[in-house]
Amino acid sequence: MSTPVADTAPDRAEANGVAARARGLTKAYGSGETTVLALDSVDVDIARGRYTAVMGPSGSGKSTLMHCLAGLDTVSAGQVWLGDTEITGLRERELTRLRRDRIGFVFQSFNLIPTLSAAENITLPMDIAGRTPDGAWLDQVIDTLGLRDRLKHRPAQLSGGQQQRVACARALASRPELIFADEPTGNLDSRASQEVLGFLRKAVDELGQTVVMVTHDPGAAAHSDLVLFLGDGRIVDEMPEPTAEAVLERMRLFSGGSPQPSGSDADAIRAAAPREGGSSDVLDPLRKD
Amino acid sequence: MLKATLRSFLAHKGRLVLSALAIVLSVAFVAGSLIFSDTVTRTFDRLFASTAADVKVGPKEALDEAVPSGNIPTVPADLVGRVAKIDGVAAAHVDAAVENITVVDDKNEPVGPTTGAPTIATNWYVTERSPVELTSGHAPRGPGEALLDADTADKKDVRIGDTLAVLAGPGSFRVEVVGIATFTTTNPGAALVFLDTPTAQKKLLGSEDAATSISVDAAPGVSDGQLKARIAAELGSAYELKTSDEEAESSAAQLGGFLDVIKWVMLGFAGIAVLVGVFLIVNTFSMLIAQRTRELGLLRALGADRRQVRRSVLTEALLLGLVSSTLGLAAGIGLSLALIQLMGALGMNLKSTEMVIGWGTPVAAYVVGVGVTFVAAYLPARRAARVSPMAALADAEKIADLGRPLRMRAVLGSVFAAAGAAALVGCALAEETGQAAPLLGLGVVLTLIATVIAGPLLVRPLIRVLGGAFPALFGPVGRMSQRNALRNPRRTGATAAALMVGLALVGGMSVASASMTKSFDQQIDRTLGADFIVQNSNFTPFPQEITDKVRATDGAGLVVRQRFTPLAVRLPDGKRVESTAAGYDPQLDDVAHVTYAEGDTAAALAPGSIAMDRGFAEEHGVRVGATLPVEFPAGRTADLKVAALTDQGGSDSLGMQGGLFFGLGTLEEYVPGGQESALYVNAAPGTDPGTLRDRLDQTLDPYPQVQVRDQADYKDLVRDQIAVMLYLVYALLGLAIIIAVLGVVNTLALSVVERTREIGLLRAIGLGRRQLRRMIRLESVVIAVFGAVLGLGLGLVWGVAIQQVLALEGMTAFAIPWGTIVAVVVGSAVVGIVAALLPALRASRMNVLAAIAHE
Repeated sequence: MSTPVADTAPDRAEANGVAARARGLTKAYGSGETTVLALDSVDVDIARGRYTAVMGPSGSGKSTLMHCLAGLDTVSAGQVWLGDTEITGLRERELTRLRRDRIGFVFQSFNLIPTLSAAENITLPMDIAGRTPDGAWLDQVIDTLGLRDRLKHRPAQLSGGQQQRVACARALASRPELIFADEPTGNLDSRASQEVLGFLRKAVDELGQTVVMVTHDPGAAAHSDLVLFLGDGRIVDEMPEPTAEAVLERMRLFSGGSPQPSGSDADAIRAAAPREGGSSDVLDPLRKD
Repeated sequence: MLKATLRSFLAHKGRLVLSALAIVLSVAFVAGSLIFSDTVTRTFDRLFASTAADVKVGPKEALDEAVPSGNIPTVPADLVGRVAKIDGVAAAHVDAAVENITVVDDKNEPVGPTTGAPTIATNWYVTERSPVELTSGHAPRGPGEALLDADTADKKDVRIGDTLAVLAGPGSFRVEVVGIATFTTTNPGAALVFLDTPTAQKKLLGSEDAATSISVDAAPGVSDGQLKARIAAELGSAYELKTSDEEAESSAAQLGGFLDVIKWVMLGFAGIAVLVGVFLIVNTFSMLIAQRTRELGLLRALGADRRQVRRSVLTEALLLGLVSSTLGLAAGIGLSLALIQLMGALGMNLKSTEMVIGWGTPVAAYVVGVGVTFVAAYLPARRAARVSPMAALADAEKIADLGRPLRMRAVLGSVFAAAGAAALVGCALAEETGQAAPLLGLGVVLTLIATVIAGPLLVRPLIRVLGGAFPALFGPVGRMSQRNALRNPRRTGATAAALMVGLALVGGMSVASASMTKSFDQQIDRTLGADFIVQNSNFTPFPQEITDKVRATDGAGLVVRQRFTPLAVRLPDGKRVESTAAGYDPQLDDVAHVTYAEGDTAAALAPGSIAMDRGFAEEHGVRVGATLPVEFPAGRTADLKVAALTDQGGSDSLGMQGGLFFGLGTLEEYVPGGQESALYVNAAPGTDPGTLRDRLDQTLDPYPQVQVRDQADYKDLVRDQIAVMLYLVYALLGLAIIIAVLGVVNTLALSVVERTREIGLLRAIGLGRRQLRRMIRLESVVIAVFGAVLGLGLGLVWGVAIQQVLALEGMTAFAIPWGTIVAVVVGSAVVGIVAALLPALRASRMNVLAAIAHE
């Protein structure tokens, strides 16, 4: 079965491959009659070196998808790989180590340890691992994010935007295989939001990182290379080269008239998705090359 | 509002459990001690009231025996004839009773209680007031027959027909047990041996003409008071007369001393529990309020005024206090039952069915429980009332009371510290114990308050140092745990304060006891020259017979006897000082090194002479050559010449003010019939001390009340006496530590809840469960060690001050028990680890996603 994001992108994907992959990913809450499927047999590939946004209405499963891909949550069925490592079935300690060494996180709020300075927060995952940060890389990250003069500050002494930038720096500092950003701009004003989104873009473009961002803001999604639309626990659509307007338009489909897309629409989208995924290969490499 | 309060109380009940436990403990100790002492007092009041004779005629005694002399004051036995003839007397009996006697079985094992309760030998006669009745065998007839009480017989497996040896002052004698007497009343724990009256008089008192008292029963219609007056008219003022009420009162007073110890120990426990509990409650309520700031802000925004918010918090405290006090009261009843059982095991058979719960007990329980909770919750409640309605909207992170300045604490802490330091310095400079002791107490209290107030100020500097190595040792986990401990200095300070109180006590007392031990060791080294000392481990006197046997032991050279007697000296400055004086054989110099300022041993021990401490002499204007009027027991007086002044710097203790001593001949002249308190024995020339010791041990085998000790053994004995005091302190410490651990657990548990999101974040970015647990453990350890350092620091200051007071009593050495101190610091780290177990487990079990999403 083909996937929304092609695992055989013509040029870049060959070199970069797939950062994360899920097959038949299912997450159910509750049991028996009251079972709620947060994720319903999702297949997804996250292309390396790309900026992927995950969108969908509340309850569509977008956060659950991210948590499962990041090894924060267990899955009910299916498989998830980070690079070549299958993370479904890993034990707690291995998952913790995986998150520490191979994944970066930026959360909506409360991203930083209040007792640690910005610099200490940035290097925390590596400190926990007992690894020495790569000084040159760290400098580059800090300068890219403009945090040089804020390093000794405690989180309480930083603005919301600065705090999120420190969180981005932390996510980048260990050069993880994948950075997950969960509504990173949810608590920020528009200017700070633009800054943070810009930095995530830069992280991909200039630092060669892979970013997956969960958001409900079409403006934020427009910064990405590819938008995946989730509805009812399934990937219902994707949009390469998104613009805010296009994303907004697509989102309207979810809420138009009925709370869920009409059966025919959803079916059409689902049916279309693989084909579109295939065709999007053409568009994929364009942005950067 | 009340409904909201109740809801909140119930919702937070889990978090209040530990505070409640502290209150329950303190209330239980208060209630338990009150119930126990009421029960014992009631039981013994009844016992004494029912067993005391209507009027008792005893010897008049003007001098208190601070140190037992072994002298038994008597009255002439023929008084009984004179008394019996008085109108209104139904019956008069001769009493010949001796307490603290030793009775051994055929294996030379004492049959008496080992718990400190007396073994009493007395004459057997039956009245309706006898506390015992003959339950088997027959009454003792003639020398060589005795009754034993049933409890003792059971415990030591003595049967009718067995032989016992009674080691009495006039000489030991053997008796056959011919009957068993059983207590009809509560057995106060003593062992009783009954002899027939002439035997008791002759063998216990040394003369058939002597009696320890005459018991008189009134004829019907004659009151005790009337009878006493009539007897007084007949006998004059030469004897002491007591009605049954007066007798019961003085018996109760004697017993009261022992009961008071138990009562005060229990109240000490209660006090520690209360003190430590206060910190726990303050901390709990502060944290609950910090966590509920939004909720309180919402209440305010919805229109609750400050008073209502405050009242809501205080009502919650009141509920906590009421519930805990009730549980504490129940626990107290259990505790007193346990104590009654314990007393039973020690031989004092109290009936738990006769437990007395006076109205004062529940009142005290609720006053303590509710009062403490209310007082402790007051400050947090005021803070809660100050929460603005805006807090409902603000970010919870920013409203925790981290930022409030500690200026007020700095000022108050400095004031108390300065006052406390002044009191302690005053205590150190004082020249009399009478002045120094109150200053010491004041200084201790003030410095304790100062440390509690200023504790949070010391958190930053001290924990920076204590946890300074953490980042290097434990990496980021160490760094975060150190910073977490620094995060809220008030909380850390209050948590550590609970531990501090107990450890300060231990620090002070261990310095004091180490200094005392060292002083005594030095004194023993300096003064003791004998190869061996023969004495009782309680320093109580023993019969002459033992002296004779020791003297007769092959290889025993010089034997110097020591006796004590109470006396009163009238001094040139007009004061009359009651003290205890020692009498020695003339060869004192061969067994002890006495340093004289003036005169020498020969002069001091010469007939008609007395020696005393130079400081005492100077204080009272006594010069060598002066003649002092001295009162001895039984109304004898003498004029003794001051012939020598000693410069011992340390004999002025244990009721022996003035360091008075004289020749044993002088003592025997005025106080005949006394018993030796110690024998100083040197090996005869040519005899190996080791050989002599073996022989002495053999000689003394039939006399289990005395032991042979060399200098090292003697030091151990003195050390053990001091150690008893320490055991009590350690028990107090144990309780304080238990509650302090509850406090640390409490703080950590609430902190973990507070930091849920932070913990979730840490776990998300890769902090392992084990690392998380270690982080919490390290925080706990650093808080506990901080408390230990504060407490020991304070305790050392107290110890120095206590030592200054001891120096006034002649104990001039100063010692710091480093072993104990290191052990306490290490122990406190262990306490920290233990306290962190549950909170750390709970934190590591948190669901990462739920924690991140935690509001």
